[in-house]
Amino acid sequence: MASTQTARPYLTRTNTNQSFANGSSSGLGVGGNQRTSLSSSSRSNSASGVSPPSRSFHSPQPATIEADRMSHPSSNSKTSSLASHTVVSEDSSLSILARSHPMSKSPRKLRSQYPRESSENHVEYILVASFDIDRGPVMEHQFPVAITGDEHMLAELMLPDQAHARNQDWTIFFLHKDQNQEEEEQEQKQKEARRRRRKRRRDRQAGISNDGGNPTDDEIDSQEDDDDRDEDENDDRDDEDSTDDEPEGGEGPPLIYVLNLVYTKHDKTVKRGAVVKAMAICTRHPFLHIYKPLLLLALEEYFKSPVPETLSMLYDAVNEMDLSLMPKLSLLEKYLLQSSDNKDLFVEKFERMVQKRIAEDGADSVAAPFDASKSPPKLQGISRAGTKAYLENQTAYSVPRDTHEFESKIMYKGIPIPVKIPTAIMPETVGDFSLVKLIQNFSDPHAKSMQPFALHPHLTTNGPGTHPIVVLTNALLTQKRIIFLGHNMPSGDVAEAVLAACALASGGLLRGFTRFAFPYTDLTKIDDLLKVPGFIAGVTNPTFEMHPEWWDLLCDLPSGRMKISSKIEQAPVTEGLVYFQQQNPTYASQLGGSSSTATDLTGDVVFMNDILKSIAARHGERVIRAKWRDWVLRFTRIAAAFEESVYGVSALHVGGDEHEQITGGHGFVWADDTAKQKELAGNVYRIEGWRNTRSYYSFIQDLAQIYTLRPLKGLDLHHMHDRLRTQRLTAAQSRDVYLSFAKWVWSYDEICLLLTVAPESHAGLFYLALGLFHKDRDVRVKTAELLGRVAEHEAGQHWWKSLSRYQKLAFHRIRREGADVTTTDAKRNAGSGKEGEPVVDVRRS
Amino acid sequence: MGGQLSKMMGKIFGSKEMRLLMLGLDAAGKTTILYKLKLGQDVTTIPTVGFNVETVTYKNVKFNVWDVGGQDKIRPLWRHYFSGTQGLIFVIDSSDRQRIEEARQELHRIINDREMKDSLLLVFANKQDVKDGMSYYYTSAGLTCAELRSLTIVKAMKPQEVTEALQLSKLKDKIWYVVPSCATTGEGLLEGLAWLSNNVKAPPAPVKK
Repeated sequence: MASTQTARPYLTRTNTNQSFANGSSSGLGVGGNQRTSLSSSSRSNSASGVSPPSRSFHSPQPATIEADRMSHPSSNSKTSSLASHTVVSEDSSLSILARSHPMSKSPRKLRSQYPRESSENHVEYILVASFDIDRGPVMEHQFPVAITGDEHMLAELMLPDQAHARNQDWTIFFLHKDQNQEEEEQEQKQKEARRRRRKRRRDRQAGISNDGGNPTDDEIDSQEDDDDRDEDENDDRDDEDSTDDEPEGGEGPPLIYVLNLVYTKHDKTVKRGAVVKAMAICTRHPFLHIYKPLLLLALEEYFKSPVPETLSMLYDAVNEMDLSLMPKLSLLEKYLLQSSDNKDLFVEKFERMVQKRIAEDGADSVAAPFDASKSPPKLQGISRAGTKAYLENQTAYSVPRDTHEFESKIMYKGIPIPVKIPTAIMPETVGDFSLVKLIQNFSDPHAKSMQPFALHPHLTTNGPGTHPIVVLTNALLTQKRIIFLGHNMPSGDVAEAVLAACALASGGLLRGFTRFAFPYTDLTKIDDLLKVPGFIAGVTNPTFEMHPEWWDLLCDLPSGRMKISSKIEQAPVTEGLVYFQQQNPTYASQLGGSSSTATDLTGDVVFMNDILKSIAARHGERVIRAKWRDWVLRFTRIAAAFEESVYGVSALHVGGDEHEQITGGHGFVWADDTAKQKELAGNVYRIEGWRNTRSYYSFIQDLAQIYTLRPLKGLDLHHMHDRLRTQRLTAAQSRDVYLSFAKWVWSYDEICLLLTVAPESHAGLFYLALGLFHKDRDVRVKTAELLGRVAEHEAGQHWWKSLSRYQKLAFHRIRREGADVTTTDAKRNAGSGKEGEPVVDVRRS
Repeated sequence: MGGQLSKMMGKIFGSKEMRLLMLGLDAAGKTTILYKLKLGQDVTTIPTVGFNVETVTYKNVKFNVWDVGGQDKIRPLWRHYFSGTQGLIFVIDSSDRQRIEEARQELHRIINDREMKDSLLLVFANKQDVKDGMSYYYTSAGLTCAELRSLTIVKAMKPQEVTEALQLSKLKDKIWYVVPSCATTGEGLLEGLAWLSNNVKAPPAPVKK
């Protein structure tokens, strides 16, 4: 199933691209094909009331789930609603920690992001370079082996401009290291070794039938991984690290991220008075900033003993870092964690990782098979890091204070150095940067005295007074050449701004920015840089300002001003633009920010004001990132709507239309048609500018790839939720929407998806919970059932908790009434021990 | 506002701006010259990684002086600094007779570049006070010019000698001038700046700040 699906979206992508070239009218036919082909692979069979064959459960209570699944589509039958109802109520009596409900936990096997057995190193190379007074930058040592590529070029990057003027400086740069054949062979060998190991284990398990009391279906290979719904948490020794559920790479092999520290030490005894040396750590992990304290120590050490052993000591220390207790999250889970400020979200996963480890340790020492189904693992050993219990017990294992970060330590020369690794890293998030800092840097001068921009339709979407951050975002989206200049600034600060800019335009959704980012670069690389079509580079050399032919947008960090180059290429007139103008003659004159647009067609003015307000109110980095993510998501959805209205079909929309009769369509939702036309008019130029960029094409690829993994294919939950949120619906319309939610959202992943479209920052479950007050009783009951499922969900419980008291009361009333209608037995069930304990008390009193 | 005002003042008092590029072999004394001009004092310099840039005001002229590192590996980068340059300051270690030919080649490579054709050429025959080939070691040892002078056995090259060694007379359509200098004492430096400001062509390209 999986293999055929992955092939399709690529096929359809090429189809739709062709149709764009042919023009708008012919696109329709192809679009029709696309939809049917995709919907055939979606869950169309569920409508017939038979659960999909791929969903075979190996859980302790498979029968109930099957019954559950089968019952819900025939929603009018009383017996079925009773059946599903009782299942939920039974489960609700279980304690939060000992959940065993199939919907509460991910059906996927809990795995480590960086397993202990993994042969992959955290750090691949350590480099040392120095500035030779006769020769300039030279490489001194490389460990464990010489990195391939131009050694001199590396040494130049490691010794940033004006390193002589400060005692210490950080730089970051990326290496595009292609895997050579030798490495590929090595990787192949490792894969085979893993496969052999796995096979041995299977054989062993088959031979010893009572091993652990839980014979499990182990994965046979990567393809089956997805179908593997094994609930058994005790299946340890899982070295399954070769497969990934979600697309990770995008284009080509992962980058090597380099964190570099340079010291200038004045020394009267040496020729020309100073020694300048730099040490760099090369890693494929995007969280390279955690190594900063280690580099400080190791480079100091290297000044004392400039020998390869100093490098090897650091290399060993960083590679011994243990991250094996950090759980791996699915893409949807990552989204949820990223956009939530809740420090407890998915804490259960961390706990289960620890339980698993304790079980393993126990099994190792006692050699007795561990059986969790009979004796649940004791939680005594686990406590939250930083809590009183943790400090008192000094236990070996702990769960992080904030689930957004995993805490570990690196032992360097006997000193434990604490490190925090982000749990959920989104694409294009590299290092430690601050969007808040970047936005403030360019907002304050703009607010004090606005300097009008030279107009460019891709960039100045709100006329000459467009906010600089919006100009920057537009420049990134339309793949311009962007330079961050920080004269007299540490190059580390410049690099940070570049990384922040990448994350700004990506929002964790779009790719293709970091791969063409040069967080720190200098004149030595200018010839190579200019070969790159569209880049984001950080420099400290003001010479760049004198060369407007090298860049399209110059962002001067010290002054907080941006400048559009006088030599920038003009925006081409594209077909889409012409069609749009023909379709909407009223807006034709206002396009491209040419007039002094007082009207905020794009809504960016409102958005930036909101962002600045948030920053002023100290909402914090995470909130700002979540808001930008929303902005980017919104942009892509508007772009999809634009393509559909102009070209007739959009490659940005993947999905069938079988449910659209009920849900009323797909994609972005506007309050009315005028609002839609206005917004499209405001975005025409930058959408057209985005349409042939790297980030556009990789986004289409990602959408197609994610679609194959996504639950609820062919159903646009986002669209449905937006309709509840933005449109004035009739009772019948909203009934359909609520009932579709209740009908389709059941499994763990489906609820995750639902939560992503109703983030906590956007009122959470509020709009869904309004269904509790629908005039139709059936809608109220079904919505209550859905909310019950959400409340049981590992992540959903937090959304449930933040629901208003009023809505919770309504929920309990409906559950009680529902029980009254059926039997007294069910009534007792529904009334006892609901999740919102305080509310229950209120009701009883 | 502030910029506007100073521009107006500039018009009234006739102040002008001039973009200068200071190049030369490594350890010729470029950075020492720059900071002597900027700060009026002798600072101990270390090899320049990349560049330095400072604004020096002298007799109502704002000089934007770029000082770029001179190691042979990084000399190809010099060309990126050419555009908009009104005056090239080429610094020679007059005591280093061994590398004067290397200096000549570099100088000719620069001034033959199309972007440098309108630029003035000022040569500082620096380290007038140092004995041949020894400058390197004594300046880094922190000796003053006076102390060095007392050590001099073989005299540094005189301006005439430098002119010949650099084959300046061969240059056509080029306004050039050689000034003997000692960066550590400041000797000759202001004379050089005065020559540049007197010879710069009428409307100087506006230097954006």
